[in-house]
Amino acid sequence: MIESLVRGDAVHRAAYIDPAMFALEEERIFRRAWLYAAHESEVPNAGDYVLTRLGPEEVILVRREDGGLSALYNRCAHRGARIVSQPSGNARQLRCPYHSWTYRLDGSLVGVPLAEGYSDTHDLQGLSAVPRLESYRGFVFASHSAAGASLADFLGGLKSAFDNLVDRAPAGTVTRFGGSLRLEYRGNWKMFMENAVDLVHPNFVHRSSVDAARVHPEALEADAITQQGAEMFLANGMRAAQWDEVPLHAFPGGHVYMDGFYRQGVIAPERDDPVFERYRRALIERHGADKAAAVLAVDRFNNLVWPNISVNSRFGAMRVVRPLAVDHTVVDVVCFRLDGAPEEMHQLTLQFVNLAASPASLVASDDLEIFERCQRGLASGTNEWINMSRGAAGEMRADRRQADGSIVSGGTSELPIRHQFETWKTWMAQ
Amino acid sequence: MNVVEAFVLREARLLDEQRYAEWLELFAEDAVYWIPTQPNQASPHDALSIIYEPRTLLAVRVERLMRGEMHVQSPPSRTVHHVSAVEIEGDEARSSLIVAEWRAGEARWFAARVMHKLRKEANGLRIVVKRVDLVDGEAPHRAIAVPL
Repeated sequence: MIESLVRGDAVHRAAYIDPAMFALEEERIFRRAWLYAAHESEVPNAGDYVLTRLGPEEVILVRREDGGLSALYNRCAHRGARIVSQPSGNARQLRCPYHSWTYRLDGSLVGVPLAEGYSDTHDLQGLSAVPRLESYRGFVFASHSAAGASLADFLGGLKSAFDNLVDRAPAGTVTRFGGSLRLEYRGNWKMFMENAVDLVHPNFVHRSSVDAARVHPEALEADAITQQGAEMFLANGMRAAQWDEVPLHAFPGGHVYMDGFYRQGVIAPERDDPVFERYRRALIERHGADKAAAVLAVDRFNNLVWPNISVNSRFGAMRVVRPLAVDHTVVDVVCFRLDGAPEEMHQLTLQFVNLAASPASLVASDDLEIFERCQRGLASGTNEWINMSRGAAGEMRADRRQADGSIVSGGTSELPIRHQFETWKTWMAQ
Repeated sequence: MNVVEAFVLREARLLDEQRYAEWLELFAEDAVYWIPTQPNQASPHDALSIIYEPRTLLAVRVERLMRGEMHVQSPPSRTVHHVSAVEIEGDEARSSLIVAEWRAGEARWFAARVMHKLRKEANGLRIVVKRVDLVDGEAPHRAIAVPL
């Protein structure tokens, strides 16, 4: 049944608008796949915790006294109250506010007031832990399923996105900083992941910010923050032929990245200024000249880790897409400090993300508008199929299989969207 | 009415009347328009901001608002910026702001504390800093197009 929803060049609209399909996605994708929970730097010390969402569930990620991490469902074993309500903090024990049941940081039960009154037939339990928890280079993922591929196998060809982000840090680690920007739209979660590698849309959706930036060329001569913002606005105005020169790499597992973006010369891949020079020297000290050059030469824009993450290693940013309902999505945007890099670089990171990814961004706001229009539009009419055929056949088709297992297409192909749906179909069908 | 209070009220009204070019003129050349994400955020360089724009980028924002192809303002919003509780101390004005926005069949509201830092220039008062602290800056927001 699910298989029939995805054809080679089209997908049935039920995938975006049917609440039953969303419930099935929660069960078969978001209760099974590895989902990003948090970064290790958010919980450096024993007792440090953050609340995070893993698909449909709220989870406490906490650092134990033995230095390990626990991911616990935020639900008291007694009457079900949320144990933790602060987004982050530090605690020696986890105590329910209702009847004061108290748990260790690994979730085991410490004690229950008035314990003798509870029925002997009902075992007093600890907090349930999320079945699997693993880190990759400081990025913590968890899975609601006890079975399945290891995290490294799941990330597959897109481990490289995290590698490149961490390798850019002269001290060898990155640290989450700057809080988060949170966007919301009344549309399906998949739209965000598809749009992030749709290179036909920028010229149309972002026309207003391209044109507005062209009227203000003085922004390119201003301070570094203003300059990189103006470059980013103008980048969306590349011609279709230029976008086609941006190769899209689709990997097994539904992951995709967009390569060669900065080589198009619109957003500078590296900065020609004293701050960047200091940074480059620090990086060479860590890696040696050859590896440092290779790390800096990675010029991907969006790295999409299926099902719901977009990593930008060049700008130290990550977006996590959180499906709330079939037609309701929240996107959390977070930043990472490159430990050992000059402080000015982190200011540029923050300001780049503000301009590119805020709900008030001149760029992102138009994307959000389009998602909402798609969601409303899809429900109407008798045509039940959504076209994703661009680049699937004919002259444009130039997919090339690479040695690393990826398939590469030209930038304006819808190969990544078809590829995401092939993965979606595999997970949803069983 | 005090001249500073009148200035703050006029600034809000220009947004409601979509007179964006005139609104931009109220900002000094070195002005910054800032909507932090975090309560009591000390600096725009510590944390992400919903908007942190020097005047050059604000000019791009205003240019875009005046262009027809801006999808997120097609159709345009109608807003009421309700400014109250204006207190003036030195070169700063503090106020409470409620913005009601209606667009494409849906209404929503923003609530914020606002700080204007002002300077007297040859052509009158100008904004050096406008800081808008939303009560829910860290919450998810749908697209924001009309400045607060």
